[in-house]
Amino acid sequence: MSELSREALLEIVRGVWERHDPMPDHLVATMQAAAAVADSDLDLELMELVERSTELAGARGSTSYTLRFVHGDTDLLLRVAVDNGSSRVDGWIVPAEPMTIRALPGEDPADVEAVTTESGRFSLTGLPVGLMRLRLEPHDAGRPAFATPTFEI
Amino acid sequence: MTRTGHSRAGDGPSHDERSSAVWARATDGFNRWTAGDPAGLDDLVAVMTPVLWHVVRAYRLSDSAAEDVIQNTWLALVRRRAAILDPVAVGGWLTTTARREAWRTAGAKTTPTPVEDDDLEHVLPQQRSAEESVVQHDDGDRLWAAVDGLPERCRRLLRIVAFENRPDYRELATELGMPVGSIGPTRGRCLAKLRVALIEAGEV
Repeated sequence: MSELSREALLEIVRGVWERHDPMPDHLVATMQAAAAVADSDLDLELMELVERSTELAGARGSTSYTLRFVHGDTDLLLRVAVDNGSSRVDGWIVPAEPMTIRALPGEDPADVEAVTTESGRFSLTGLPVGLMRLRLEPHDAGRPAFATPTFEI
Repeated sequence: MTRTGHSRAGDGPSHDERSSAVWARATDGFNRWTAGDPAGLDDLVAVMTPVLWHVVRAYRLSDSAAEDVIQNTWLALVRRRAAILDPVAVGGWLTTTARREAWRTAGAKTTPTPVEDDDLEHVLPQQRSAEESVVQHDDGDRLWAAVDGLPERCRRLLRIVAFENRPDYRELATELGMPVGSIGPTRGRCLAKLRVALIEAGEV
């Protein structure tokens, strides 16, 4: 057989490592999600948290509390409820405006989103418990998206 | 099965062809992303993350430490993309950033106890497709034995060189604790050792 060229040897090295220490299957998707979140955060204005209710403990381990965020003229009121591990967020945007509300959970790139009703209400259900933020995308293309700071469910 | 073409006559893309394709795709993704297309960033991440994995793992980081380094590299890219003036250089920027971070992380361990490869081997996932394991079992094991039998410095250097385009030899020298200017000759010696090992294993 012919003498192995430098390229052929490096090709062998590459193949060996790809088989013996392969990149974890999930890695590309995880990195795409992390990069995309960081990218969308760059030009994203943050809402300001202006009010937070104390937790209202309900029966059998359910809790709920409310948060109020402000950004410019937009008010966002959230009621966050956790009941036995499943959680939901009910929101109300004032003044009412057509928007897509997207949940950006900390690590899970699960895409939970909702569109506001005519009265400015929306709800997101089946959210993972943990750190979370909401991205608000006005349907008026002239208005840039903005987001809440991270809060915990 | 182009991958099995490595030890035989040159079917399949050569190392240089492969890496220039990878680098061209990275540049293309970067250009589309900076032009406002988020899918460009997805493509850039998809094509470069495997490269970063192998470069970072050459520093003997655990799975989770390697993932952290890679994630920090992507976050750094997103935040500092304005600093990348030449889109063609984006692949090199990423691998260099990842290597620096990997080196820092590896060095931050209080006791730099070298892990024996035997220990490491049990930890490493050995994923192969059913098809691959049938076709490449003997072949692959002998190739692995040849690469694995190299001195640590050679293993690490060749892994980095195999996956990177044109690593910065000056930085590599610092990281590998070698004199500047010795990387080129060392790489040559390491390749020669590998060639001999393959001949002895009957692979050539």
